[in-house]
Amino acid sequence: MGLDIRVPLGLIFLITGGIMSLYGIFTRGNVALYEKSMGVNLNLGWGLVMFIFGMIMFIVGRRQKWQDDPVTPRPWERGKGH
Amino acid sequence: MNLTYIDWLIMLVYFIFVLGIGFALKRYMRTSNDFFLAGRSIPAWVCGLAFISANLGAQEVIGMGASGAKYGIITSHFYWIGAIPAMVFVGIFMMPFYYGSKARSVPEYLRMRFDEKTRAVNAFSFAIMTVFSSGISMYAMALLIQALGLFHGIIPDQYIFHVSVILSAVIVLGYIFLGGLTSAIYNEVLQFFLIVAGFAPLVWIGLKNVGGWDGIKHTLPTTMTRSWQGMAHASTNSLGVEWVGLAMGLGFVLSFGYWCTDFLVIQRAMAADSEVSARRVPLIAAIPKMFFPFLVILPGLIAVSVTSHMPGAGAAVVSHANPGSAVPLDEAHPHGIIPQKMDALSGKPVLDTNGNPVYNYDLAIPVMLLHFFPTGILGLGLTALLASFMSGMAGNVTAFNTVWTYDIYQAYINKKGSDQHYLWMGRMATIGGVILSVAAAYAATSFNNIMDALQLIFSLVNAPLFATFLLGMFWKRTTGHGAFTGLLAGTGAALVHHGLTLPADAQPGIHGAWIHLVHTYPSDMAQNFWTAIFAFTVNLLVTMAVSMVTAPRPESELVGLVYSLTPKPVETHLEWYEKPSTLAFAVLGMLVVLNLVFA
Repeated sequence: MGLDIRVPLGLIFLITGGIMSLYGIFTRGNVALYEKSMGVNLNLGWGLVMFIFGMIMFIVGRRQKWQDDPVTPRPWERGKGH
Repeated sequence: MNLTYIDWLIMLVYFIFVLGIGFALKRYMRTSNDFFLAGRSIPAWVCGLAFISANLGAQEVIGMGASGAKYGIITSHFYWIGAIPAMVFVGIFMMPFYYGSKARSVPEYLRMRFDEKTRAVNAFSFAIMTVFSSGISMYAMALLIQALGLFHGIIPDQYIFHVSVILSAVIVLGYIFLGGLTSAIYNEVLQFFLIVAGFAPLVWIGLKNVGGWDGIKHTLPTTMTRSWQGMAHASTNSLGVEWVGLAMGLGFVLSFGYWCTDFLVIQRAMAADSEVSARRVPLIAAIPKMFFPFLVILPGLIAVSVTSHMPGAGAAVVSHANPGSAVPLDEAHPHGIIPQKMDALSGKPVLDTNGNPVYNYDLAIPVMLLHFFPTGILGLGLTALLASFMSGMAGNVTAFNTVWTYDIYQAYINKKGSDQHYLWMGRMATIGGVILSVAAAYAATSFNNIMDALQLIFSLVNAPLFATFLLGMFWKRTTGHGAFTGLLAGTGAALVHHGLTLPADAQPGIHGAWIHLVHTYPSDMAQNFWTAIFAFTVNLLVTMAVSMVTAPRPESELVGLVYSLTPKPVETHLEWYEKPSTLAFAVLGMLVVLNLVFA
């Protein structure tokens, strides 16, 4: 298929991770908010992890040429012509 | 529940992507092959993640968390014994026939190998099953949304259930209608990573709270933290099953019957871009599958270990269950943050016959999310939960539309349609499947017992299935008549066995013994496993006996369908580390290590 799954996968992690880390930065000093997670700012920490993962996926997905696109024949269509 | 705009934003991003993938893939859906088989062009790792994600539906996540809270790490047998060996087997031995035979579905393989009537039995029972499974998934999701009060204050309470059902139906319908199997697979990959991203921090923070694995071991009885302890006898472990029943019933008959024959998962492997890839799919899937107990079962254990918010914490630490009784651990270990079951009508806690409160273990994972996640990451956790519900539903819908179009519509209703017509039919079947699922979800709301009965019927139909495939693929003498009678006899045997036995402390009726009580099992799980063992054995013997007296098909017709008549897959162009068998050994090695660590 002409769409490399790593591109949308990378994007959703970039956006979600980005939202979470930004929110984490703005709520850094909020002790009451992070009481639930035992004082750990999960939004900032985990948001960054997700952001980095998303970036790697997105870059790899954009670089790699996906083997199949709508114009070239599919595996089962190949072989017929030649 | 206190959700803020940030949680809603994260969930919204997910739903935009889910539908966006459908729209992006729409233009590639040119033929029925694209729609039903993803053009057989998907790389192995993508199919592999979809393979487990499709199986990781609502019942799985909620049920395994609940079971972890109730029974402990022993639940991981459902993964380690109950999935990995079968996944390795299907990849190494069976995939060459599914993929190589060019069959477009599992029932179609049965027609090529046996005959029309064997296919019909499988196609119809499977189609009905998928619709009900996705309906149950939808029902469970709507119930959970209601219980968590997700839409509380946004829409009136009495509409929450309806809105949840309709919303999930429309979204799943949307992305499958547009992008077919490819869309479902892509979304399953997305869902896989979101589930990991949502649950991994939960486990981390939870473990931190209870003092790590050592803390759990300290709080809970040892039977909950060791997976093999007490397996020698049914009365000394919390499942109420002895190791023979576990290994044969769960590890062999039920798990091989599911992973090796269920089109829902096999379809993901059939979408792979080559036979070698298709064989790798279940093996790749086995690796994360092996570690899923840490994501879905461990939160259940943590939930019962958390003591900080419990009245009288510490007092509840129980050294060991009373010996002798089969399933005592239920009430004998701490309940942590597991809430009591509430009566939906009266709003009062439900009490059992002895006046003790009943705990709602199904809420183990959702309660963990609410307990540990602050707003922001809470949105991510809820997204992960919703993602798992959707992937389970979508898996069923894609399997349904394929089996309906190829094995029912094309086989019995319209044989001579154009490819475009079948593509259109597939889209219509998607709509039909989703509408039927919604109907099933509503049926579940009004007749709770009907769902139990259906689950039972599925297990009776599925139990003997693996014998048919095993003989069909590895014994060339097996005939169509043999397979057909064996299949029916096996289901009959399951029915009779169920009618004659009963789990301990259950009343005759839907739970068994509706013919006559002959034998009592220590638990319903033991009964279930032994029903499967009987069904399998009867199917095996009857199929062999009938095959011996009926005429076999000529060997030339069976090339590519039977092991002994099919050339072995050529692997000379692969390096040793690229071969599926190397991967299989690595997977099995890891499995042994995991079992030793948690023995």
